[in-house]
Amino acid sequence: MSAPTVARTDFRSIRRSYVVVGVAATFVAIVALAFLGSSDVHPHPVRTTFGFSALVAWVFPLLLAPLAYLAVAGDRARGTITYYLGLPNTRADYFGGKYATRAAVGAATMALGVVVAFVVALATYEHAPDAGRFLMLGALSTLFALSMVGIFVAISASVGSRSRAMMGVLAAYFVLSAFWIGPLPALNLDTVLDAVASLPGVTISDSTMALIGALSPAGAYFNTLPELVWAGAPGQYEALAQFDDAPDYLGYEPWFNVAVMAAWAVGAPLVGYLRFRSAELG
Amino acid sequence: MSAVEIDGLTKRFGDVTAVDDLSLTVERGEVFGVLGPNGAGKSTTINVLLGFLEPTAGSARVLGTDVTEDVQRIKRRVGLLPEAFDGVPNVTAHEHVAAAIETKDADDDPADLFDRVGLDPEDARRPADDYSKGMHQRMGLAIALVGEPDLLILDEPSSGLDPNGVQLVREIVREEAERGATVVFSSHILDEVERVSDRVAILQDGALTAVNSVENLRADLGMGAVVEATVDELPETDPLAAVDGVTDVTVADSTVHVACATPRAKMPALRLIDRATTVADVTIEEASLEDLFEAYTAGEGRAGGRGGDRSGGEARQTPGSGERAATAGGEGA
Repeated sequence: MSAPTVARTDFRSIRRSYVVVGVAATFVAIVALAFLGSSDVHPHPVRTTFGFSALVAWVFPLLLAPLAYLAVAGDRARGTITYYLGLPNTRADYFGGKYATRAAVGAATMALGVVVAFVVALATYEHAPDAGRFLMLGALSTLFALSMVGIFVAISASVGSRSRAMMGVLAAYFVLSAFWIGPLPALNLDTVLDAVASLPGVTISDSTMALIGALSPAGAYFNTLPELVWAGAPGQYEALAQFDDAPDYLGYEPWFNVAVMAAWAVGAPLVGYLRFRSAELG
Repeated sequence: MSAVEIDGLTKRFGDVTAVDDLSLTVERGEVFGVLGPNGAGKSTTINVLLGFLEPTAGSARVLGTDVTEDVQRIKRRVGLLPEAFDGVPNVTAHEHVAAAIETKDADDDPADLFDRVGLDPEDARRPADDYSKGMHQRMGLAIALVGEPDLLILDEPSSGLDPNGVQLVREIVREEAERGATVVFSSHILDEVERVSDRVAILQDGALTAVNSVENLRADLGMGAVVEATVDELPETDPLAAVDGVTDVTVADSTVHVACATPRAKMPALRLIDRATTVADVTIEEASLEDLFEAYTAGEGRAGGRGGDRSGGEARQTPGSGERAATAGGEGA
C-alpha cells in the first residue's frame, strides 16, 4: 500500500505551488473580513454565520476548483501519471493519495476559516460566540467541503484533459451550487420545478420540492443549519427565525441532509475511482 | 520463462489500430531494441505491458505474469523510463527517487543512482521543473534503476540527451545486462540500438516488420557488407561470385567490389582475391542499421542497401514478417 507516499509527494507539489497558501489565505481573509464587517451591525456572531454559510456554499467551491480540477487530469496531461503508476502503486493507491491531499487541504482550510471566524467574533462582537454552534458549523461546513472536493476530484479522474476537467468542475459548481440553491430567480432549480409543475396535469408537492432541493451538497448544507446551528439563537434575528416553522419534510431533516452530504463525500470519489480504474492511460 | 511474451496483441483506439496482431518474445538477460518511426506502436506496446492500456485482443506476459491479471507483481520487478518523462511539479529529483525507493521497498542510495546517471547532487536537490530535458531523462533513468529491476523498460531513453548522455545510457544498459537484467528499449536512434542490442524488432504501423540480431537482419536482406579491394591486376569474377554468401561482384578500374550477404563470406572472398592478385588496399563497409531500417520500413523498391540482393519484396519475407511473430534467434513463429 503506497497511497501515503503518493499523498506525500502530491502534497509537496501543491504546497510549493502556492495553491494551498492561495486557497487558504483567500478564504480566511474573506471570512475574517465578513465577520469583522458585521461586528458593528450584529451584536451576536451567530447572525453572521448566516452570511458565512452563503460564502461556504457559493464562494468556497470556486476556491476549491483550482486546487482539485488538475488533481488527476493534470498528471494525465503532463504524463506525470506514468511516474506514479510506473512504480508499484495501484490505481487505488494513486487515486486515494490524490484525493487525500486535496480533501485534507479543503477540510483544513475550512476548519481554519471557522477558527478565524470564531477568534474575530471573540475579539470584536458585543456578545461572545457560542463555541458549540461554531463547532457544529465547522463540522457541517467541513463535510460540505469534503463533498465538493470529492465531486471535483472525481471529475478530474474521469476526463483525459485539463480543459475538460476545468469545464466539468465549473459545470458541477454551477449546477450543484449556483443553480440548485442559486440566488438568481431566472436560473435556479425552484424556477425550473415551478415551470414543470405548471404543465397541465403535473403537480410537485412541497415535500418533493424540499427533497429535491436537499439533494445537492449545497442544498443539504443549508438545510442542516437552521436546526443544528441557528436553533434557539439569541438576538431574535429575522434571518435566522425564518426557518423556525419549517414543515416536517424529509428534505428538511438534519440527519437526511447530513447523509446527503456524506453520500456525496464518499460516493463521488468512489464513482471517480471506478471510472479512473478502467481509464486508458497513455 | 521469457521476460516478455506478446501473443497476437492488438490495441485499437476507436478506428485507429495502434498495435496490430503483434507477437514477440524477449528472452531473459537479453538487450532488446524496438525500432520504428513515430506512430509505429512502440510506446503503445510498452503502455500495455505496464497496464496503462488494456489490450483489445491478444495477450502479453511480463516475467511470467499476465499484464491483465497482476500488473502490481510486474511493476515491482520492472524499472520504467516512460516516453517524454515529466516529473511531479515542484518536487526535486531526490524526492522523486526517494519516493520510488520507498514505494519499491528498496534500499538504494539516491546519491549512488544520481552518480550512475550523471545528475549533479546539487541539481538533484532543486525542483525538477527547472531541469532541461536531458536532466529530466537522467532523473527518469535514476527512478527506473531503483530496486535493481529484473526488467528495465526504457522508452526513447536518449531523447533530449547530449552525446555524453547517449553514451551514458549505453553504459547503463550494458551494466544492467551484465547484472543479469533484461533490457527492452525503444528508440529511433539507429546507432544506439545497433550498438547495444542483442536483437532488434522493427515496428511499422503497429505491426512487427522484422525481428532478429542486426547481423542476421543484414544477412536476411542481403545487405551485409561490401568488401572493396584495390588490386594490381583485376581477378576473374566468376570464382568470387560462386563463394557462398557473396551476392554481387563488380569491378571498376583497379577495384573489386564484393557484396557479401553474410559475415562468413568476406574472408573466403578476400582469400580468393589475394591468391589471384596483389592486394594494395582493402576496405569493408557494413550496411548500417539505418539502411536496414529503411529497407524494412520503406515501400517496395526502396529496400536494399550496399549488399547485392536489393529486392524490397524479398526483404519483407524475412523472419517475422510473414506471420508477425518471432522468438529468440529470429525464428518466425
